[in-house]
Amino acid sequence: MHPEAKLRPQEPRKLSSALLLTLPIFLWAALIFSRSFAPPNDRVVKIAAVITAAFMVVLFFQMMRTRSTYRWRRIFFVTLGVLFPVGFIHEVMVLRGSMGIPMEEMIAGRTPFCFMPIPMLILPAALTRAVVFPGSILPHGGMSGGGMASMVGIWLAMTLVLGKGWCSYACFFGGIEEGCASLPNRPALRKLDPRWRYGPWAVLLSMVLLSLALFEPAYCMWLCPFKAVSEYVAANDALGMVQNGIFIVLFAALVVALPLLTKKRTQCAYFCPFGAFQSIFNKTSIFDVKIDKSRCVPCNLCQNACPTLSLSKDSISDGGTLLSCMKCGACVDACPRQAAVWHIKGTPLSIKPERARLMFLYCAWAMATMFGGSTIAQGLQPILHFFL
Amino acid sequence: MVKFAPMAAWSPVGEALALGLASGPACIASCGPVLVPSMLAEHSGVRLNARYLAMFLSTRLLGYLLFALIAWQAGSVALPPASRSTVFGTVHLLLAVVLVFYARSVGRTGCEAGCTQPKLVTIGAGGHGVPAAAALGLFSGISLCPPFVAAGVRAAELASASAALLFFATFFVGTSIWFIPLLGFGCLRRNPAIITVARMCMVLIALYYGYAGVMILLGRNIRAS
Repeated sequence: MHPEAKLRPQEPRKLSSALLLTLPIFLWAALIFSRSFAPPNDRVVKIAAVITAAFMVVLFFQMMRTRSTYRWRRIFFVTLGVLFPVGFIHEVMVLRGSMGIPMEEMIAGRTPFCFMPIPMLILPAALTRAVVFPGSILPHGGMSGGGMASMVGIWLAMTLVLGKGWCSYACFFGGIEEGCASLPNRPALRKLDPRWRYGPWAVLLSMVLLSLALFEPAYCMWLCPFKAVSEYVAANDALGMVQNGIFIVLFAALVVALPLLTKKRTQCAYFCPFGAFQSIFNKTSIFDVKIDKSRCVPCNLCQNACPTLSLSKDSISDGGTLLSCMKCGACVDACPRQAAVWHIKGTPLSIKPERARLMFLYCAWAMATMFGGSTIAQGLQPILHFFL
Repeated sequence: MVKFAPMAAWSPVGEALALGLASGPACIASCGPVLVPSMLAEHSGVRLNARYLAMFLSTRLLGYLLFALIAWQAGSVALPPASRSTVFGTVHLLLAVVLVFYARSVGRTGCEAGCTQPKLVTIGAGGHGVPAAAALGLFSGISLCPPFVAAGVRAAELASASAALLFFATFFVGTSIWFIPLLGFGCLRRNPAIITVARMCMVLIALYYGYAGVMILLGRNIRAS
């Protein structure tokens, strides 16, 4: 460690201030989860809603009180990552009795839509005016949930504001690997070739082109590691074997093994095409993370802390992060000299960075409570059913 | 008095042009996985990229004409299933091999950024290298894409081989118009990041073509149906 980079923990905020700052999120959580108390929801749904609302509010309070972001966000994110498959698989099993989606369901347009294929739908839609996904545009009931239109609408609204913050506060896939990455004390693999950072862009380009050529969401059909813990094509032939084999190998390697070895979110950093697509929206977001060069001593603590390799020596010397920054706050929390700061574009760095952090966190946590919180509550329900 | 050819003689030409123009987006979609990353891997410059595109399209035309001849000889594009599997499986595998070699060869042209006369990427040993664009164009031309089937069926119905070739050539002109916007890739400034992404992309697409080739040769489905 650089001799000047001694740890200087920030003073915790006063209890009354922290409570006051948490009040808007408390009211937001109450509004979001009050729906669960409407009939005909049963006791378990109500208890799950109360637990989730309290969970989200307490985590936000801790962010306010301690002034640190990453560790509290990580608790939420890992919980989301673990409980999403629980709720999803439970619902799939109740509806179909299997995690495999039969071809008839696909033909009927009842495939549940997630945000992952969004970038792969654009070119085929532009050239042929067809949506190459076997789901319904409008709410369809069953596993198709709210339909593609609502999912794309929610994603677009959040993305324009938060940019790639989506990947740290809303994505229900990244939590498992973040959990795995947090387990070891030290990384076993330290030297990572920086060229692999371009992997997500290569996967994005190839999947967009193959989706156009094959007229199907190629990533969902061939490369999505999370099919291993959500839903796969119920095919009992060689094709199905190949597809499901790829899903399992990718999940085991990118979501479990490599995060354990590197302490990084390797699927997000090296593979996820949606993450690459999402990076583009860091240009539209007003929030970013900056490095205050007047305070920075090049100790590399921020670079080592970044779970997605979004900081390099060059970017630090340029005073910012790479385009792939997910705004998780790890670098800001890791910097002992408060040189890594939250920032609102167009404002000077000298303006109190804590204000920028608060503005970002209100947006991000409101989204996390609405989108991730609902998913957490859904995942809690089968567990509570088991005990109650 | 000047005698014009009867309209009926020209109608297949017009039909082929209209079919080509209408099928252009499908052709772009079909050739995109090969064409886009390989063009991105080349050096900057509209002239160089125009050369690349011209070579790709002309060898693609050669592939078309070869197939048109076979189609006219056979009286149909529907080859016997065994021959079809062999031809298309092999073509997919060859495309995969060329893409992998292409990804390896990028950056070995001895002409780094800023050189005055950049050359097209070649695959193969030393001075005997073949421009990768030519190999990719030829194999893309032979592989059976949906608009190509439509043109092939129509060409097989024509009275002579020359009429079938003319039909295919006109169809080719119609589809090629859609490729002109791809010249815009020449204006993109290449940096190591774009080249790396293009190379990785070519390897991923080669993996898919390799898989598809093997499955076709084994007579299995390559997609859920």
